[in-house]
Parts: sequence; structure tokens; C-alpha cells
Amino acid sequence: MIFGIPITGQTITYFLLALIIMISGVMLMSLQKVMHMAVALGGVFLGVAGIFILLGADFLGMAQILIYAGAITILMVFALMLTQRGDDTESPPTNSWRVGGVLVFVVVLCAAFLYVLRGTAWPVTQSAVDPYTQPSVVLLAQSIFHTYTVPFELVSVLLTVALVGAVVIARKEEE
Amino acid sequence: MQTHAWIIPALPLLAYVILLIFGKRLRETVAATISVLAILVGFVLAVIVMQEVATNGPIVAMTFNWLTFGPTTITVGFSVTSLNALMLVVVTLVSTLVLLFSRSYMHKDDRFVRFYQYLNLFVFAMLGLVVSPNTLQFYIFWELVGVCSYLLVGFWYYKPEAAAAAKKAFIVTRIGDVGLFIGIILLYLGTGTFNFNQMFQGSPVSAGLGHVAATLNGGVNVPWFAMHGLMFAGWHPLFGMSPYGFVTLCAILVFVGAVGKSAQFPLHVWLPDAMEGPTPVSALIHAATMVAAGVYLVGRMYPLFLASSGASETVAIIGGFTAILAASIGLTQRDIKRVIAYSTVSQLGYMMMALGVGAYVSGFFHLMTHAFFKALLFLAAGSIIHAIDTQDLFQMGGLRKKMPLTHITFLAGALALSGIPPFAGFWSKDDILSATFDSGHYVLYAMGLIAAFFTAFYIFRVYFLAFGGVAKTEKHAHEGGLAMTVPLIVLAILATFAGFINAPFWPELGKFLQDRGPIGYDPGANYPLMAVSAVVGLLGIWLAYAVYSKEGRAERMATRMGVLYKLSFHKWYVDEAYQFSIVWLVMKLADVLNFIDCWIVDGIVKLIGEVAYLGGVSLKYSNTGQVQTYGLVTLVGLLLLVAAAIGIGGVL
Amino acid sequence: MALQPFLALGVVLFGLGLFGALTKRNIIIVLISIELMLNAANINLVAFAHFSQPAQIQGQVYALFSMAIAAAEVAVGLAILLAFFRHRNSADMKDVDLMKW
Repeated sequence: MIFGIPITGQTITYFLLALIIMISGVMLMSLQKVMHMAVALGGVFLGVAGIFILLGADFLGMAQILIYAGAITILMVFALMLTQRGDDTESPPTNSWRVGGVLVFVVVLCAAFLYVLRGTAWPVTQSAVDPYTQPSVVLLAQSIFHTYTVPFELVSVLLTVALVGAVVIARKEEE
Repeated sequence: MQTHAWIIPALPLLAYVILLIFGKRLRETVAATISVLAILVGFVLAVIVMQEVATNGPIVAMTFNWLTFGPTTITVGFSVTSLNALMLVVVTLVSTLVLLFSRSYMHKDDRFVRFYQYLNLFVFAMLGLVVSPNTLQFYIFWELVGVCSYLLVGFWYYKPEAAAAAKKAFIVTRIGDVGLFIGIILLYLGTGTFNFNQMFQGSPVSAGLGHVAATLNGGVNVPWFAMHGLMFAGWHPLFGMSPYGFVTLCAILVFVGAVGKSAQFPLHVWLPDAMEGPTPVSALIHAATMVAAGVYLVGRMYPLFLASSGASETVAIIGGFTAILAASIGLTQRDIKRVIAYSTVSQLGYMMMALGVGAYVSGFFHLMTHAFFKALLFLAAGSIIHAIDTQDLFQMGGLRKKMPLTHITFLAGALALSGIPPFAGFWSKDDILSATFDSGHYVLYAMGLIAAFFTAFYIFRVYFLAFGGVAKTEKHAHEGGLAMTVPLIVLAILATFAGFINAPFWPELGKFLQDRGPIGYDPGANYPLMAVSAVVGLLGIWLAYAVYSKEGRAERMATRMGVLYKLSFHKWYVDEAYQFSIVWLVMKLADVLNFIDCWIVDGIVKLIGEVAYLGGVSLKYSNTGQVQTYGLVTLVGLLLLVAAAIGIGGVL
Repeated sequence: MALQPFLALGVVLFGLGLFGALTKRNIIIVLISIELMLNAANINLVAFAHFSQPAQIQGQVYALFSMAIAAAEVAVGLAILLAFFRHRNSADMKDVDLMKW
């Protein structure tokens, strides 16, 4: 028992993943070199993927790894390289009082949220060891392709539109 | 035909719409023909309707529902009673002739078609008013008549006097209309209905039309009114008044509307000024239609007045006073149309006096004959004005030779107005005077008699000044075209013979109007009184002849009368009195309000505007375009919300 | 294992993302920070899905949709960034002030 939480394999995994996420996150915010930041970003995404798997969302975890840790991180790196000019360091914020102010506000906000989190009587706090009757991928597939077919199709339309839009916006303007 | 009586008002409306659509593209002749024909057909139909009413009796009303709220249903439709039928005939007949007359009077006017449009609309409004089965529809048409009169009096709006007169007519009648409207609402609250028929259900007049004389003299007899039960829960019955008081109040308020429309004292001031309009308009408004609407209103609401002796006494006194006041002013006016206008006011006073003393039939008999001879006088005056282009009596003269037809017809009208037998005015005016005398209103009788003397004097003053003596202008006077002379001739015939329709030895009109039993007070023939009024009329004529047949006598007489002459010439200073009391007060009040509006209300509005503007100007610099700053501000806002939520507790 | 630790993790991750979005100068880093905030939301969704009684798959579906939307957002965001960079030759948030007064 640590802080009233029983020590099980699940708990240990959770703490490890949370540690990875937070360390990577803090590094992401504090590192100067943009390339290093990209690596830290990958760390965060992988950690979140681990959390997903821990929560029984295997498919989402894998999708997180593929989309975020893979595609988006790589995309960001490309964009960083495209917009690099000589130095590849993040220029520091103009005024540091502003960073301090934001920090204070964010910390206060997080504290408030955590306070509320503690104070709220959640209807369900404990879960069964295996909450899902079927593998979550099966349930997910049934949900997406059966119950939520229309939103799913709309999302694909949205992605297409975003793709086309991105191409149009990023294209070099013809003189 | 009775069930299709709605066609009669619809015809002028149709003509109006046609003229409205085609507008200036129509030739004068076409426009005039359409209008005259529409109303002529209306006249024929009205005669048929009257015939049917005389033989079969009237239908009650043809209505359909318009609005329903609570226990009340507002209907629109039309009703035909003997009174309505009579009014329909009189209005359409006079209107036809006036419209025909306008054809040559308004010839070559730039807005000829527009003039006919207005006339048609006016006739439509008047006919609609006549057939209205309920007070609300009546009021709508009543106001429509008012608007049309405004448009027509101000037809030559580029003349400042005409524009001012139109405004005056509109505003002064509006004062009366407010009274009428309050009266209508009170009556609605008292009886729970707008329908004339339901409103007077159970009243002596509507049921058997009997016992009315007794009711009148006996004073309070309004069980029918209390019987309606004032069904509105929560209303104190009759607002704490006795039934008699309530009926009196309603009747007086309704009468206030009639006072405005029929130009009775103290709201008579608009009518003479309305002479600035074209003469056919004067004939239409002052003879048959608008001014008659007030008398008609009192007649339509007659049960109300019969139920309250106080209200009827008021009507009689106001009428009698107006009759003598207006007649005394008419004695000295220089403008031919103004003399006739004051004569109209005076004659309307007679009608009101008749209704007030209970002589229902006499009042409407006089309304009818007056419509004929007054339209005749106006049209004849119009013919003179058309010929010599002046309205000043002292610029006229010697027209007897130059305009023989106008002379003869005018003479017929003047004799009718003076009450000389056997002309129409004699029978009707004498009826009124007899009724006044017989019902014991001796003072009113005396006033009426003096007014009759004045009447004969002023109208023959006009006659001698215009037609007698020698010509004072170089203008070559001549008779108008056929469109002018035909109406004059027809009206002259009517003015001469129409009186026999209710002569003591052949009281057909009385029988017709009282088809469901006697209404009010019918004096019957009183030959000594007849002789007296005829003699008084002749005396007036003789005096006019004595004064105005020779040059110079009039001036001497004027100086000898001194103050009286001045009082009469300046219309008893009524206008001035209003100017220095009410108008002054209203103006000052308006100044104060204007000041408040300009500086305080507008100031507040402008201040708000300025604050918003300055705030915008100063706040715009906060829009730096820096998204992160916006985000920071949003974050702060979010924090505040969260803090508030936590503080209140339980929201998050 | 309880619900609260996961939510707490979400809060912390959200806070990190918010801090980055409001302070970083490089537009790409700002975009990354927004992704962090979206991920925090996803953690919440999945956690609630897991801890419902009985477990609801809808939370995961929602997270999946959220991922798709985020991908679209990144694509458009980067496109805008590239267009902006081509115009102003800068990827600095300070220079994004076209909307000022």
C-alpha cells in the first residue's frame, strides 16, 4: 500500500507510464533544441499509448502509436526542418514574466482540477479485472461499423476535406 | 336586394381601385364616367333597397365573424334598417350629383383623377359607415371618412391655408373621435358586445320601438341595460355608477364624437376653415356625408339617448346653441362659402336639437332635405366661383342676368333654407321647431326661431349681394357646362319638392322610419307654429332686402350694431379663445416636451452611443493579434469560472 | 486500480500542453502542445469508458474520432504554417498578428 493504493502489477505499470509521460512532457517544455523536443514528444505519445493499453483499449493504444508516435511526430519533425533557419534552437519567450504568469495560472488551474477531482464522489471508482466481455477491438468494430456508421463516414469525409484543404493552403501560389 | 346591399358601398371602392390602378393614364372623361356610373348604380340599388325595406321590413344584419376573444366575437358585415336605407339613398344621390358637378369644376386640374379617387374613397367610407352593423366597424369607417376629409380639404395642399385647414379639420374631429372611442369601449364593457342589435336588445327602441316618449320624459328606465348583467366577473357593475349614470356617460361620450364630426359647438371651428378645399368637396362633406355622420351616429345610438334624459337634454342644448351661434356668425361673413358653411353648422345644430328633444323623425327629415338644399347651395356657389374666380361676396353682384340658371337654382335653395313654404326646408325645420315647442323646450324653441330668422337673413344677404345690384368685376361670368347645370337642376327640384315626403298631410317618411313602432317624439302638425316660422323666414328675407338692395345701408347698419357686429364678424372670437388657451397651452407643453426630448432623452441616447464608441476605440488596442495573449486571457477567465463554481459548490 | 489517478494524469498532461501553447514561440511547438491537450482529453475518455459499470465502449469510439479530428487538425495547421512561413519567412508566434486592429 502506497498512499492508500494497493501495489499490484497494474499500479506499478501505471506509475511507470505516468512517470514517462510527465518527464517527457517537462522535457518537451524545457528543452531548447527542437529535435530533442521531437524525441520528447514521441515519449509522451508512447506513454499515453501505454496508458490506453493499460485501460483495456488495445486498439486505441496501437492507433496512438501509429498515428501520434509515428505519423504526427514525423510530420512535426518535417515541419520543423522545413522552417529551420540556421539555428535550430527554440527562441526564448520575449518576456519571462509572462512565462511565470502562465505557469502560475496553469498550476492554479491544475490544482483546482485536482482538488475537484478529489472532492467529487465518482459513481464508479473500481473496475473489474476484465471489464469488457469481448476483446475491445471487436466491440469497437461493432460500434463503429454498426452503431456509429454515419459519424464514421463523416469523419472520413472530413479527413478528405482536410487533406485537400491542406494541399490547397500549403501549395505555392502561382505567380 | 337587401341581402346584397353590400354592393352599394363596394361600387365606389371598385371605382377607387380602378382609378388607383390606371391613375393618370385615364382621361378625365373616363375617370369621371366610371366614378359617376359606379355611384349612380349604387343609388339605383339603394332606392330598390329602400323600396324593399318599406314593403318587407328590414333584415337584421348580415355578418361573418372576424375575431373572437373571450366571450366576444367581433363581426363584420352590413345591416339594413330603415334609417340605413334612407341614408344610403341620400348619400348616393348627393354624391352622384356632386361627382358629376366635379367633372367640369375640376376640369384641367393636374390631379383630376386623384381627386376622383379621393371622392370615391370618401363615398365608400361613408356608405360603409352607414351599413356598419357594429360599433367597431362603424368606428373604422368613421376614421376612414376623417382621413378622406383630410385628403380632400387639403387637396390643394400647396396653398398654406388649405394645408392648415386640412390639419385643423383632422385634429379637431380627432378630439371628438377620442370621446367616441371611449364611449364604444365603455359600451362594450357595459353590454359585452359591439353589435348595435345586441347592444340594444331588450331596449324599447329595438324591440317594439314603443314606450319611448314615456321613457324619455320619465327619465330613468334602463332595465335592458342592467339586464345585460355586466357579465365580466371582477368588474364592479357599471364602475360604481348607477345604470342611469353609466348610460348617460356613454351617451355623452358618443355624442362628443358626433360633436366633432358634425361640427357642433365647441368643436365647430374646423368646418368653416375646411372651405379651403374644392367646392364640390364642400358640397359633399357639408351637405350629405361627413357632417351627417355625426347626426347619423346619434340616430343609430338613439336607444342610448332615449334611456338618458340628461344626455338627450345635452344634445338638445348643444344643438340649439350651435344653431343660433353659427347663424349669428353667418350674418357677417364676407366669403360666400363661409356663410354657407356656418349655415351648415347651424342646420346641423337644428338636427341635433331635434334628436335631443326626441324628434327622431324630424331630425332625419331635416338631414335629408338639408342634404339636398345645402348641396344645391354649395354647388351653386361653386358655379359662381367657377365663373368669376372670387369667393368674396362684395366682389360679386349682378349675376342674375349673367347666370340665370344658377340664380334660379340658388334661389330655390335659399328659400328652402329660409323655411319658406312650400320648399323642402320649411317642412323639416318647422317639424323641428314644433317638436321643440311641444316637448316644452321653450327656450330652445326661441333660440331656434331666432336662428331661423338669422338663417333667412344671411342666405338672402348672399343672394342679394351676389345676384342683385351691378357687376363689380370685369370678368365675363357665364354658366358652366352640362355637367354643372344638371346637378343644379336636379337638386333644385329636390330642394323644392322633397319636403312633401313628410308633410303633415302625407307623413310617409315618418311611417318609413318608424316601421317598427313610434320612436321618440312626433309632434304632429301645428299650424299656428308653422305660420310663425314662415313669417319669421319672410321677415329675415325682407330685412336682407332692405339692407342689401341699396348701397351703403349695410355699412351704416354695421356701425350701428358696433360690438355685436364685431363679435359676429370675428366668429365670437372662438378661434382666438382656443388659440390663447388650449393651443397656447399645448404649444408650451410641446416646447417643454421637445426640450426634454432634445436634451435629456437624446442626451442619454447620445451618451450611451459615445460611451460605446469611446470604449470601442480604447479597447481596440487590446486586440494585438497575439493568439497566445488571447489564450492567456481565456485561461484567466476559465480560472475565474472554476473559482466561482468551486465557491458556489457542487456545480463542477 | 481507481479512476482518479488516470484523471489526475490527464490533468497534468493538459496543464503541460496549456503551458506550452501559451508560452512557446515556435508555431510547431504550439501545435504539439495542443496535441498534448487533446491526448489528455483522450486519456479521460478512455478512463471513463473503462471505469463505467458495465464498461462502455463508446468512450473509446469517441477517442478514436477525436484522434481522427486531431490528425486533420495537424494537417491543416501545418499547411497554414507552411503558407505563413512562405509569406513572412518566420515560424514565430509573435509574427502572427494579421488580426490586430
